[in-house]
Amino acid sequence: MTRLLYVQGVPIWRNVVALRWIVQIVSAVVVLSTIALFLLNVAREIEARDIPFGFTFLDRAAQIPIGEAVIPYDPSDSYLYGLLVAGLNTIRASVLGVILATAIGILVGVARLSPNWLLSRIALVYIEVFRNIPLIVQLLFWLTIVLTLPKVAEGYVIAESIFINNSGFYMPWFEAQNGFWPWALITAIGVVLAVYAFRGLNRRETETGQQSYPLLAAAVIAIGLSLVALLILRPLAIDIPQVEGRFGRLQGGAQLSGSFLALLVGLVVYTSAFIAEIVRAGIQSVGKGQTEAARSVGLSGMLTLRHVTFPQALRVIIPPLISQFLNLTKNSSLAAAIGYPDLVSVANTMTQIAPAISLFMIVMVSYLSMSLLYSLIGNLYNRMIRFKAA
Amino acid sequence: MTARAAPAPLPPATTVGLQGWLRQNLFSSWGSSAVTIVLAVVLSWVVVNLGAWVFVEADWTVIISRVPLYIVGLYPYEGYWRLCICLLLISVLLGMSWRAWPNAARRFAFAFGVIMLFVGVFPHEMAPDHRALLLLNLPFIGLGYVLTPRPAETSPGRFEAMAGSALAPALERVAIFSTPRRMVIAALVALVLTMILILGIAGVPGLDPVNPQDLGGLMINLLLAFFGIVCSLPIGVGLALGRRSNLPILKVACVIFIEVIRGVPLITLLFMSRHILPLTFPEDLNIDRVYLAGITITIFSSAYMAENVRGGMAAVQAGQTEAAQALGLRGWQTTLLITLPQGLRNIIPAIVGQFISLFKDTSLVYFIGMLDLVEMGRVSVQGNQEFIDNGREVYLFIALVFWVFCFSMSFISRRIEGVLGVGRR
Repeated sequence: MTRLLYVQGVPIWRNVVALRWIVQIVSAVVVLSTIALFLLNVAREIEARDIPFGFTFLDRAAQIPIGEAVIPYDPSDSYLYGLLVAGLNTIRASVLGVILATAIGILVGVARLSPNWLLSRIALVYIEVFRNIPLIVQLLFWLTIVLTLPKVAEGYVIAESIFINNSGFYMPWFEAQNGFWPWALITAIGVVLAVYAFRGLNRRETETGQQSYPLLAAAVIAIGLSLVALLILRPLAIDIPQVEGRFGRLQGGAQLSGSFLALLVGLVVYTSAFIAEIVRAGIQSVGKGQTEAARSVGLSGMLTLRHVTFPQALRVIIPPLISQFLNLTKNSSLAAAIGYPDLVSVANTMTQIAPAISLFMIVMVSYLSMSLLYSLIGNLYNRMIRFKAA
Repeated sequence: MTARAAPAPLPPATTVGLQGWLRQNLFSSWGSSAVTIVLAVVLSWVVVNLGAWVFVEADWTVIISRVPLYIVGLYPYEGYWRLCICLLLISVLLGMSWRAWPNAARRFAFAFGVIMLFVGVFPHEMAPDHRALLLLNLPFIGLGYVLTPRPAETSPGRFEAMAGSALAPALERVAIFSTPRRMVIAALVALVLTMILILGIAGVPGLDPVNPQDLGGLMINLLLAFFGIVCSLPIGVGLALGRRSNLPILKVACVIFIEVIRGVPLITLLFMSRHILPLTFPEDLNIDRVYLAGITITIFSSAYMAENVRGGMAAVQAGQTEAAQALGLRGWQTTLLITLPQGLRNIIPAIVGQFISLFKDTSLVYFIGMLDLVEMGRVSVQGNQEFIDNGREVYLFIALVFWVFCFSMSFISRRIEGVLGVGRR
């Protein structure tokens, strides 16, 4: 019997390999049984307490109104379609928010480093004010601002085509005509050509030191091609919002509802304050010696920024920037508090009839896939910028 | 032979003094001058308009008439004195911190006392005993200060120099919190007392139990954030160790937990916990939503804490581990005695940062049906015809309260960083 406990003359409680295996197995059993216990317990209680659960409801008609939708929606559409519409609303707010927040964040971050004392102080105040106030308070504040705007009939009108009032923001937008797809194709080709031109000219500049204006050339190629095609094909007509009917409803053009506007402003202002700090830290992380060396080999201020400071700062900036994008996307769920029909808000409304736990499992999986997408982008970027062995 | 050196010529007037400063920082070039002028015009316009609104147009009665609701929610009036005592306990702790880490805590302790003094003497409706208790905060900060011995590496302050050697032995005898262990015990005792005072004990006269649902206002934001951070630290350490371990299933479980929690908005977690957490308790146990919110916030925070801890431990130099191994420490000894303590020291600023963001995130507990500061504000605007147009005043006030807390905490965090020398060692 005691033989069994000895391996090659070493007792089993002193044998490293055996011990490691035992620890692995014990930990595995503990972890798995804890998870299983939790899930089984919840499942049993769901059944015992008659809590609705399951995913069959997804095909039924949702029968709830959704205030605004990117794709056409009708209350007779299914729950699944309703969730898709809500998800697209979330994506719309996130994409617009990410673009605007990045732009404003970079501006404020650079302004923070400006030699002009007043400008850099104002940027500092902007950052410290907006990142230290909870987003939901900001959203509620912006919503009250939007709601105190005058009614449609008395609202602000700019150039007869931009309307700002308490129902939202209306501006002229484009309407696709016959030649839209050929034009889009030509524009896409122009962009591809521009990217190649930029790379080629950039390489030439780096290798030979001759000023080649890659950015300018790329912009001329892309925008020029698109403009020429625009003039020949005439693919877009301009749709101007118009006041219609007795109650002065506005029709046509691009419409941003009041709650969407409040959400967008809140998200952009809040996130841009964080992005500004990231940009500032990124630019400051590039050693002073780098700039001085670039200047001493004869690069001008702009060239130093483009070829030396910025590429190095970007390495530091991009990873936290992507996590800010993810934060913005997650924060857009606060739309539920101000009545913009995003994923959480719509799912919350649906719980009145549909099983709450199932609905929010779907919502959580949606957010998880979005965050996985962001980390995928982040990983790809990290792989791209990894220092290559010479 | 004393040859006097000729006095160095003064720098030209345009490079020093006010004129030089202006020239360097505001009018260094044409572009800079233009920016300065435009910004100055815009800024003065904003300041004038804002000032006019704040002092003339805005109607602050909506705030002034219900300050207690914003601060403590529906907490019963009879218990206000207990909260005042809690503030005094905090004052003592602040005084101790002031003494032990003067650079990090001095201004904060002082500001706290001054604010309490201001609230105490400000002419508004308030019972005289509450007023007196608030005024006591400043002396209690002094008490905490005196009870703590002067750290060895600092020189005696002005007060001690003034008191001279006569008072020194007396001061030494009073300074009972002379070891870190005693200070930790003092903090823990204060914590327990605070909880007893806030929630009360059944059967003790004067300490009538308070329904946890009545906790609200700013108090619940602070309590949730505090307990979220404190409880999430051990869980976060556990998760981080799990993620670093070489046990595959444990590791995978920790990674999935951390990434799932970090990948979804807090609001969805709150919603889920409202529906799922009660299922894990017996059916007849009606668990209060304060605890649901507390558990959710702890879970949420522990995932982020785990990532902080992991980052802090990764920043510990490999030489430390190697040295520990060379000394013959076992794996768990190396982790617990060498890597973890140094890793935790690395993340103190990150913990303060997380406390700030958690404090901001507690404003979402309205989703679980709690009356925190933000929800109180919203109710007082939207549920009241009289104040329906005062949304701006209310939200600006709430924003100001949050801002003061978050900003002072980030200020302290920067000070702590300086004191600990994080990143310099």
